[in-house]
Amino acid sequence: MEFTRGGRPVPMGQLDRWVTFSTFGDAELVSLTGEIDLANAPEIGRAIVERIETAGKVLIDLTTVSFLDSAGVRLLDALVGDLNDHGKPTRLVVGRTGAARMTLQLCAFREDVLATDLDRAAAEISS
Amino acid sequence: MTQDLRPPWDEDPDDLYEHAPCGYLTTLPDGTIVRVNQTFLSWTGYTRGELVGHRRFRDLLTSGGRIYHETHYAPLLRMQDEVHELAFDLVCSDGRQLPTLVNSVLARAESGQPRAIRTTVFNATERRQYERELLLARQIAEDSERRVRVLQQVVADLAAAPTEAEVAEAMVRAPEAAFGAASSSIYLIDDERDIIYAVASTDPTTGNWDDMARSSERAVARVADRGDLHVVGSVTEAREHFPDLVESMRRSGRSTVVLLPLTTGPTDELAGPQTLGVLAFSFKGERRLTDGELRVVRLLGQQAGQALDRARLYDELRRRQERSKFLAETTRSLDELHRLLPRTRRVVDRVVPEIADWAEVRLHVGTTPVVEDAGGPRPDEELLTQRLGKVAASGEPVFAADGDQLDCSVLPLTARGLVLGTLALRMAPDRRGAAAERAFLIELADRAGLALENARLYEQERQIARTLQRSLLAGDLPSGDTRFAVETHYQAATHDLEVGGDWFDAFLITQDKLAVVVGDVVGRGIEAATTMGQLRSAVRALACNASGPAQLIEGLDRFVERVESARMATVAYVEIDLTDGEVAYSCAGHLPPLLQEPAGSPEYLMQARSAPLGSKAGDKNRTEQRRRLPAGSRLLLYTDGLIERRTRPIDKGFELLAREYARRRDAPLQGLAATLADTLVGRDHSDDVCMLCLTLGTEERIERTIGADRMQIALLRADLRAWLVAHEVESGCRDAVLLACSEAVANAIEHGYRDDPFGMIDVVATVTTDAVEVRVTDRGTWRGAVSDVARGRGLQLIRESMDQVLFDRSDGTTVTMRRRRGAE
Repeated sequence: MEFTRGGRPVPMGQLDRWVTFSTFGDAELVSLTGEIDLANAPEIGRAIVERIETAGKVLIDLTTVSFLDSAGVRLLDALVGDLNDHGKPTRLVVGRTGAARMTLQLCAFREDVLATDLDRAAAEISS
Repeated sequence: MTQDLRPPWDEDPDDLYEHAPCGYLTTLPDGTIVRVNQTFLSWTGYTRGELVGHRRFRDLLTSGGRIYHETHYAPLLRMQDEVHELAFDLVCSDGRQLPTLVNSVLARAESGQPRAIRTTVFNATERRQYERELLLARQIAEDSERRVRVLQQVVADLAAAPTEAEVAEAMVRAPEAAFGAASSSIYLIDDERDIIYAVASTDPTTGNWDDMARSSERAVARVADRGDLHVVGSVTEAREHFPDLVESMRRSGRSTVVLLPLTTGPTDELAGPQTLGVLAFSFKGERRLTDGELRVVRLLGQQAGQALDRARLYDELRRRQERSKFLAETTRSLDELHRLLPRTRRVVDRVVPEIADWAEVRLHVGTTPVVEDAGGPRPDEELLTQRLGKVAASGEPVFAADGDQLDCSVLPLTARGLVLGTLALRMAPDRRGAAAERAFLIELADRAGLALENARLYEQERQIARTLQRSLLAGDLPSGDTRFAVETHYQAATHDLEVGGDWFDAFLITQDKLAVVVGDVVGRGIEAATTMGQLRSAVRALACNASGPAQLIEGLDRFVERVESARMATVAYVEIDLTDGEVAYSCAGHLPPLLQEPAGSPEYLMQARSAPLGSKAGDKNRTEQRRRLPAGSRLLLYTDGLIERRTRPIDKGFELLAREYARRRDAPLQGLAATLADTLVGRDHSDDVCMLCLTLGTEERIERTIGADRMQIALLRADLRAWLVAHEVESGCRDAVLLACSEAVANAIEHGYRDDPFGMIDVVATVTTDAVEVRVTDRGTWRGAVSDVARGRGLQLIRESMDQVLFDRSDGTTVTMRRRRGAE
């Protein structure tokens, strides 16, 4: 047994610290949380791709993400691009302010896939 | 009348010649018969006229006799003038052969020329008969001797045969050697299963080798039942008495079958001889066995029976020894493991394959049952579930019976009168059924039950202790105060059998006074965990009233007088005045805290030391030491597991810790304790490690050095974030600095060092009232600028989030970034 307070590197396989999956209406809901950076983005990306392969619509909730770096943006960019290519409606849910919003804005992420709350995002892609 | 008056020795010469008790022949030198007496004529059935002048002596001989006449008789007679006792068979007129002994004398003329041969012929019929009988008797004697030799060998083999199989092997060849039997086979009786089964045969192509019930009508079973020798002399006899033999006798061309029960011989009068098996042997032709042979056959049966009996006793003894050895080893082997799951696993691993080909232990503990199985194939699930339920409910074992569809024995695992679970097993084919095996299984289940119950109790206690320890160690520690930060780490011994008594605590005594403590309670397990909890509470309670560390330790001394289990516990206790950075500390038998000031080398705080709590022989004069620490100082409290190693002196441990601690003076606080534990004790450690690291004050300037490891970015960010918060940097600016700094470090890792973990990255940040400046330096070789789109985005982010960015690539890469405060 081992437990420690603070930032001890978390081994792979504990991805649910950052990403969990559920459904929201008829869409697959991917909820990200905590700090997404170069260290965990590739693993998180793999887990998401595996999960949403069969999904028709995808919502990615970033409201509780406390840090997002360019590796995280790269991941989201690839996901959104891929979903678009397959004609699958998708939205990123990001708070009006906060670290994730800031990073996405700085990168000039496509505004049309961003939404500020889950209900609105779901409504947008259900039509 | 006159004749009657003559005395017996006064005989008439003619009559004497004619009726003498031997035959007379007179022949010419060429053998032609010229005179013959009546006795000869009566013996041979010829008339005088047929012989005299018509036949030669040799004409009356058999063809073999004629040759003998030519080669021996005639030459001898010519040389010696006489021959004696030559055996000839005469051919009588009716073709009969008459055995005779012949004497002849050659009469010569005065000139020496042969004149006549006189021959007497004695009837040798009786003598020949006698000789033949003599020959036969010798043959019988030789046969008997051979038999005896064979039997002696068999008896010797039997005496040396320790197992039933070897007894059978020694027996099965005997009938061929001793009686010239065509083939033989051996059947043994299995009392337990009440059947008779074939074990050995010299000709497996004959006969019927299926197991038979003892009550079967088959000849072997009947003979075993009666216990008497049976000789089936012919197929006809077989048809009458043992119809089952007819077919196989016909098929294999056997005419005589002998069925011999193998008996223990006369034991005590009450029980009588016991039949253990049957020896069957057969002959090709109809063979009558003489009384002598039958006697020998019976003897053979007894010898074999006794040998079988002996082998069974040996076998039983050996099995008994094996079983008790197995049980003893099982108990010992289970004792080696303390935890419930490994112990359960070991039970099935002991059982399979040694005594069973499949086994399963099922324990009804906790919410989900523990199930371990081994071997296979699994029996029918439905039948098994039924039997398991039955045994669990009744607490009584159910053994596999003959013709049992499930073919599994299920035994309850009980301890202290409660059914803990079940042991189900399918015995290996050669071990089924015996009553002794049942007793053995019951004993095995009893032992396993007790061992598993102990493991369960142990597990329960361990769980409670663990929970208790966890709740104590993982409790809320003060945070959110920018004047200090606390990092703790606890790691249990690798082969953690029981929880240890190591503990730490940090709490605010007043708003401006912080207390940190690390201690070690003697002993392990639930009692140590409880004591630790009590001591922890005592420290918190005393800290409010005591006027410093020395007084607090004295209070603990008094406490220990009431809580005996806390005696000899060690404690390192530090109070920190957060307003001016003054610390006061005292160590009761505990290892000295390690201090790292922002400048200089690490230093062990060796003052204010005294004996463990409640010590009777040690120095209990509790003192304390005070000193003021500059902002940015780090204090490490730890337990002995961190530095004590059986393989190195403790001085070395102190040295190593100080060195590693110094090396990491610029490492982020988060993860520092865990990294130190990793370096000093590694993953395989025999003792618990408990650490508390305290950083005091807020540095004006934060300097960190991290390895080029992606995981390190988050740790650095945590330190930097705390530092920015402490300096009350606005959230927008804070997020921008964190992002830019992370990207710069990521660049260094990906492009400067290409993930080389030995690369080091320095991060220095300063804050003024109007700006935050961060400098990230690596010594790597920058790879082809911004051609990489992804990294391009990183650089873009740095530029976008900061007000000024400067790249210097003269020696490695230094990125200097500045962001104005306040503005979004």
